[in-house]
Amino acid sequence: MPLILHNLTPIHWAVAGAGIALVTLALLFLTNRRLGISSGFEDVCSFVLPVSYFAREAVRSARKWRMPFIAGLAIGGFLSAVLGGGWAPIWTLGLFDQVIGFGHAGKLAWMFVGGLFIGFGTRLADGCTSGHGIFGLSNFELPSLVTTMSFMGAGIVTTQFIYRVLFHL
Amino acid sequence: MALLYLALGTLFGFVLSRSGAADYNYIQAMFLFTSFQLYGIIGTAVVLTAPGLWLLKRYGRTVSGRPIVVPLKPLHRGSVVGGIFFGIGWSMCGMCPGPIFVNIGEGKMYAIAALAGALAGAGLFGAIYTRVQGLFRLPRLVVGRT
Repeated sequence: MPLILHNLTPIHWAVAGAGIALVTLALLFLTNRRLGISSGFEDVCSFVLPVSYFAREAVRSARKWRMPFIAGLAIGGFLSAVLGGGWAPIWTLGLFDQVIGFGHAGKLAWMFVGGLFIGFGTRLADGCTSGHGIFGLSNFELPSLVTTMSFMGAGIVTTQFIYRVLFHL
Repeated sequence: MALLYLALGTLFGFVLSRSGAADYNYIQAMFLFTSFQLYGIIGTAVVLTAPGLWLLKRYGRTVSGRPIVVPLKPLHRGSVVGGIFFGIGWSMCGMCPGPIFVNIGEGKMYAIAALAGALAGAGLFGAIYTRVQGLFRLPRLVVGRT
């Protein structure tokens, strides 16, 4: 199956997994940082929302590394598009277009609602695929196993419900 | 230092972009059990990170000689409920937090709405933290400089 981005052929999963492991270990060995991306939402919120949750020391001390790391994520995506055939605004959404097929406004609303679940859920669970799924599982942490099983289970149920029950694939 | 974080983030973002981890179809295919790609990526990452972490913690120091510190996460009711919310969002958007930023970089316009939603969701959680603290058995906040 080609990627949505320029119909590129994806790299092998073992290569991608090794790349992720390399960055995770480099962050710890070079800079003493625990990989975690969803905390970056807090970093952004901490600049504009004067509530005590965002004034935690954990937020203040982490945003000086996490903000550039997250900027790097976007740059990595940008370079990938440029090197893979050129950067251009993309509205296509693969399976979503074929089966559900909302227009631009509907797609934005759908994404905003999904984003609400991501932002609220990752803060409530203290992490996402990176901090719990990659780092936490690799470090044999029980909370990470619990949360990873929860989000994998919920993702499976949601996608199966959307594509096999609501919209027959 | 900021440049190092930027470089590591760029490498991470490029890998996510080109592997399918930031691709709506691949995320749905993972949850539909029609593709092994994402299970292979996450599985390989964990299988390689685990022994690396073990070795680094055994060595105990960073490259500059500082003691390695791994902050741990608490376990509470929110670990399950928050995980479930996040799973719903991951399925709906076809992006977890890292790929939201990667997709924005790639030019996927709808990812901006996902980011706006995620920031609003995180902001909402922060605003009501003290009110849901008892319900989810969340830890006390450590505020200010320590």
